[in-house]
Amino acid sequence: MTSAVLCQSQSCINDNPPSRMECPTCSKLGIRGSFFCGQDCFKAGWKTHKLIHELAKSPSSSTNVGKSSDSYNPFPDFSFAGTIRPLYPLSPRRTVPDHIPRPDYATTGKPFSELRETGPPRLLTAEEIEKMRTACRLSREVLDIAASHVRPGITTDELDEIVHNATIERNAYPSTMNYRGYPKSVCTSINEVICHGIPDQRILQEGDIVNIDVSLFYDGYHGDVNATYPVGKIDEDSQKLIRTTRESLDAAIKICKPGALIRDIGKTIEPIARANGCAVVRTYTGHGIHELFHCSPNIPHYAKNKAVGTMKTGMIFTIEPMLNLGTNWSEIHWPDNWTATTVDGKRSAQFEETLLITETGVEILTAGRSPSI
Amino acid sequence: MDSDADDDIPELISAEPDEQSSSDRNPIAKRVPLTIICGFLGAGKSTLLRRILTERHGYRIAVIMNEFGDTADIEAKSITVDGESTTLELANGCLCCSIKDSGAAAIESLMRKQGAFDHILLEATGLADPGPIAGMFWHNEEYIDARSIGSENGIVLDGVVCVVDAVFGLKQMEEDHADTEDEGTGESLRQIAGSDVIILNKVDLVQSSILSATELAIKHVNPVAPIYRTVRAELNLGHILGIQAYSIGQRHLSALKNQHESQHDHDHDHDHDHDHDHEQGYTLSSSVVPHYVTRGISSLQVSLPPLSATQFAAFDAWIRTILWENRLLDSVDGLAGTPDSQSKKSPSQSNINVLRCKGLLILTSGEQHVLQGVRSMYEIIPVDESTKSEFPHAGKVVLIGKGLGEDVRHSLLSVVG
Repeated sequence: MTSAVLCQSQSCINDNPPSRMECPTCSKLGIRGSFFCGQDCFKAGWKTHKLIHELAKSPSSSTNVGKSSDSYNPFPDFSFAGTIRPLYPLSPRRTVPDHIPRPDYATTGKPFSELRETGPPRLLTAEEIEKMRTACRLSREVLDIAASHVRPGITTDELDEIVHNATIERNAYPSTMNYRGYPKSVCTSINEVICHGIPDQRILQEGDIVNIDVSLFYDGYHGDVNATYPVGKIDEDSQKLIRTTRESLDAAIKICKPGALIRDIGKTIEPIARANGCAVVRTYTGHGIHELFHCSPNIPHYAKNKAVGTMKTGMIFTIEPMLNLGTNWSEIHWPDNWTATTVDGKRSAQFEETLLITETGVEILTAGRSPSI
Repeated sequence: MDSDADDDIPELISAEPDEQSSSDRNPIAKRVPLTIICGFLGAGKSTLLRRILTERHGYRIAVIMNEFGDTADIEAKSITVDGESTTLELANGCLCCSIKDSGAAAIESLMRKQGAFDHILLEATGLADPGPIAGMFWHNEEYIDARSIGSENGIVLDGVVCVVDAVFGLKQMEEDHADTEDEGTGESLRQIAGSDVIILNKVDLVQSSILSATELAIKHVNPVAPIYRTVRAELNLGHILGIQAYSIGQRHLSALKNQHESQHDHDHDHDHDHDHDHEQGYTLSSSVVPHYVTRGISSLQVSLPPLSATQFAAFDAWIRTILWENRLLDSVDGLAGTPDSQSKKSPSQSNINVLRCKGLLILTSGEQHVLQGVRSMYEIIPVDESTKSEFPHAGKVVLIGKGLGEDVRHSLLSVVG
């Protein structure tokens, strides 16, 4: 796969021949393709060239500003895809008052009841559905509260505190807390982060987009909802991304009713994404939800999937498409074993609702004050 | 903030051969075939494995021994390549909203670090049923982009190979048939049912009448998988590796077309007093093997005429009902699927369970579609012009599983007809 790279200098005196001498700083920073035909040529173009190093290094300092002066990137050697960096230390684990009922994984992290679950998706009784309505309504309330605080200058950890407090005020348990060891009460995913961003010291910047994913456990049932918000004024591509993602979710919700096929959800979402220059993330899917946080059915958001199942009255699940700008739908994970980002550093957005299949169609249990259907 | 007042201009370095550096993030993605090898105890799986590794010396072949039976996940912790064992790092919490299998993810993660393998062999020691694992890898292909954008080296399910012991195989199958009638697992039968190619090994130790009877018993359960008679697991590896059993390529179509003919040959080799009506699956001579009530594991083959668009849609409704809900579609259900109430199964339907299905559907428009399914997962994909079967006289559907009696055939023909 060796292809010739021409000398990158803008002022090359040798007519930019194919070159195999590389700038060592670029190599170290993971910047590929910085080839020059010789040391003299390299020196001549140095003033211009070194700007590339600054661009690569400075996101850590200008794009990622921490609240305190001792915030640091815990993974300095990791090859990040974009400009977002984690900023540690994470704040201490927040506590949940003893009187609030917890799911089984709260102490050990292991979701035993989920691992035990087999069989087709549950169809909930009227009573159980009522409890889901409550849990979902509360989830939306908490999300809306958090969203009202989104602005340049606030950290994702501060958003986590807001979500945590709003959750326990409602006598609910934040579902993500210690779920398989997750350390916080909410997921905050900025820019190229696809999902599962861990709230930390990073201050939101004008132009960012941030997804806030709230889930809480109330009276034995989980609710799950998320949305992507602009931080101040954002660029057109980001606007398009957010709009398209919401649109694809709304279109998918519209096809939901008894007898509809689960595999058709992805069939509905993907064309909308493609038509708008976005790619649909495949690895993460929608899921059944009730007494268990994540259970069957499994809901792929991409077309041509082999998802099993027909929707039936009383079935409850989430649809939560993640769309990336561009054509790359894949992801990489940070060494924290949670944060997923795009491979090329382009931005990603997500929206989620928890849905109930009713006799005549669908009810959005997590609907905000202005439901889209 | 801009502290880069760097006046020390570094020396250029000789660039590394770019394989290493450019292979990090977006390598030219390879589709790495994976073969599941299952089979009866002592039938010769290890011998087969050794043979493959010796003959394909020079290829990077990874071997995984799945030591724990019955579970759908790979629990094996180690993978051996070129004699060296590496530990598979099974995935962790972050994939919680992902259905992507942790075993498959672990293998792919290893390939990211070590480079793609040429082939992966999963030896299913003690695995009662290859179906769930096959389904899992087949499902995992949804994370491979055909255009290789955003994908890394992806695992593609090449097929399931079953090694049957010619000496004890028939007896094992008989016992397991009795077993399945009492709702037992019927291990050997499930392995045959879920396989794409069968190796009948140790044929030198057994007389030919037994061999024929064994083959008939196998075909009763799985009429589509070719059977190869071997001594010490010696055979042309091209028969078991690179077979693309889950694709819709030329090989698959030929297999479906030709199995009809090859079974006809077997038929005439041996016992002439059994039924020549191939449409009914296999009825076996009672002198060698007892007649099996369809409560055990068997197969059903149904010929279908060219279908109109409506009939094609009806077929999809029928197949998804039997695969997803283990019951027959009523014409009352209509195409929209079931009304909400519990499925109304008649007693004879109560144990329908399709383990594997394959088929070729011809449409009146001239289009051809291929059906592939394992367990409840299936897909129907159009065949592109270049691989179309040349003599599309009729479509055919093969179902392998439990409870596949004539009522199933009638149901299909009435819904589609």
